[in-house]
Amino acid sequence: MADPLLQLDGLSKAFGAHQVLDGIAASIAPGEIVGLLGPNGSGKSTLLNAISGFLAPDGGAVTIAGRDITGLPAHEVTRAGLARTFQLPSMPTRMTTREVLAAGDVSAGSARNMLRGAAQDQRIDQLLEMFRLSHVAKLPASALSGGQKKLLSVALALRGAPKLLCLDEPTAGVHPELRSEMITILRRAARDGTTLLVIEHDMLFIRQLCSRCIVLDRGQLIADCAPEELEKNAAVVEAYLGKSVEKGKTAR
Amino acid sequence: MSEFLIHVAAVSCLYGILALALNLQMGFSGLVNFGLIALFGCGTYGAAFAHLWGWPPLAGLALGLIFAALMGLFFARLGARMSEDYWGIATLSLAEIMRLVFTNEQALAGGAQGVSGLPVSFAGLAGQGAGLSRLALYAALLAAAFVLCQRITRSGFGMALKMMREEPQLARALGYDLGRMRAIVMVISSLMAAVAGFLYAHYLSFVGPEQLMSHETFLIWSMVIIGGIANNWGVVAGAFLMQFALAYVPFVKDWLDMPSDFVAATRLVIVGGGILAFLIWRPKGLFPERIGGSHG
Repeated sequence: MADPLLQLDGLSKAFGAHQVLDGIAASIAPGEIVGLLGPNGSGKSTLLNAISGFLAPDGGAVTIAGRDITGLPAHEVTRAGLARTFQLPSMPTRMTTREVLAAGDVSAGSARNMLRGAAQDQRIDQLLEMFRLSHVAKLPASALSGGQKKLLSVALALRGAPKLLCLDEPTAGVHPELRSEMITILRRAARDGTTLLVIEHDMLFIRQLCSRCIVLDRGQLIADCAPEELEKNAAVVEAYLGKSVEKGKTAR
Repeated sequence: MSEFLIHVAAVSCLYGILALALNLQMGFSGLVNFGLIALFGCGTYGAAFAHLWGWPPLAGLALGLIFAALMGLFFARLGARMSEDYWGIATLSLAEIMRLVFTNEQALAGGAQGVSGLPVSFAGLAGQGAGLSRLALYAALLAAAFVLCQRITRSGFGMALKMMREEPQLARALGYDLGRMRAIVMVISSLMAAVAGFLYAHYLSFVGPEQLMSHETFLIWSMVIIGGIANNWGVVAGAFLMQFALAYVPFVKDWLDMPSDFVAATRLVIVGGGILAFLIWRPKGLFPERIGGSHG
């Protein structure tokens, strides 16, 4: 196997007495599309925050493409090649969709360019087209629907051609038709060299997109397998449905 | 043009520069600074120290700019450690500390009496020449500050500032170093405020701690809120509007035959009432920010 693109070694985080991440160890190879699953409160978003620099882990290490990024601030993690989206994408009220995409280019937004006019960038038009946002390009980004905001946040994250793209529930609220388009776009990004880590509750989406899944429950990694094997995995079934199912003691 | 109009227009130009500085911080970058007057004070006291120490006036400008840059950086550093609202309170406190130190330290620039006798710019010119020359100088500097602010806010960096203002978490995720951006904005706008302070000192020929009262900061806030937050044209218009409104209060007092304390009280009502009325009925100001104006 090639050197891993993302390597997690014993990553831990506690909020007070509550251990949210308990020694998570996993690695993802370049070009892989990995689903990150688990019931609500299992620690998925916390793991993503710890990887992306939004939360300093209490222990363990995060390595991207061989570089130790543990504890680095979010903007430096982004510059190391990681892009991420948020579960609830909040978008600016006083910027248009196009302006938001323009601000997505950190080198154009650098202070060195403070006296230069904002560049008209072809890439923005491509992204607007690709994510079917052209008709809302001139609207304030906050006026977009929940699904459109999700699309815009994925477009923003893809703007800098990241090495690792972490998506937090990218299809929640997105129209089914666009959902399949999103799969095409993400597969293309993976083909172009982006590795993906996707938090998602929609199992159909996971099966169509991911080649592998890692499952968290109560801060621990309980499974690392192909999507098709999830249903047969006793630990996963128990985490999602409780012990009674496993023992055949359902209500009916 | 009457002496009076020249005077009000000249002061309006200086306040226009201050309004642009606050607009760069608060309007475009979301940095809620209630201590702007301290940065203006760096300019006035730079001029005062140069005068006390027998330095040429331009050395006072350099001194004021250095003070302002350092204080702006200090403000920005503080911002890295606290949330936006607490930062606003901290900046107000810092400005008050500066005013109280200058009021109570007699050895430092004359204490409460301040420093008088600073050379007035263009004092040698006869008739209205001096006043008009000052007005022309201030107007030219206001125009320069305006062009600078327009260029910055319409650039890619300006777009990044707006992103920091609206969605700081998203801005960080995109790779922006918000601490550095805050520092750059604070230094640029602090230098602008200090230039206005330096010119003001050599206009009045006097520097004193009562020029640093917090209501001066809120006067500048009223210019930005009434003119139009994040609209450079708007805030300059706001500066002229407020200065002219305040300047005509004494005439209203005479006309209504009111006692002399009417003037100060009415001015406070105009500033406070103006801020309140606009925040309630027209929060975007007279000239609202143009959304999408800078890109496509």
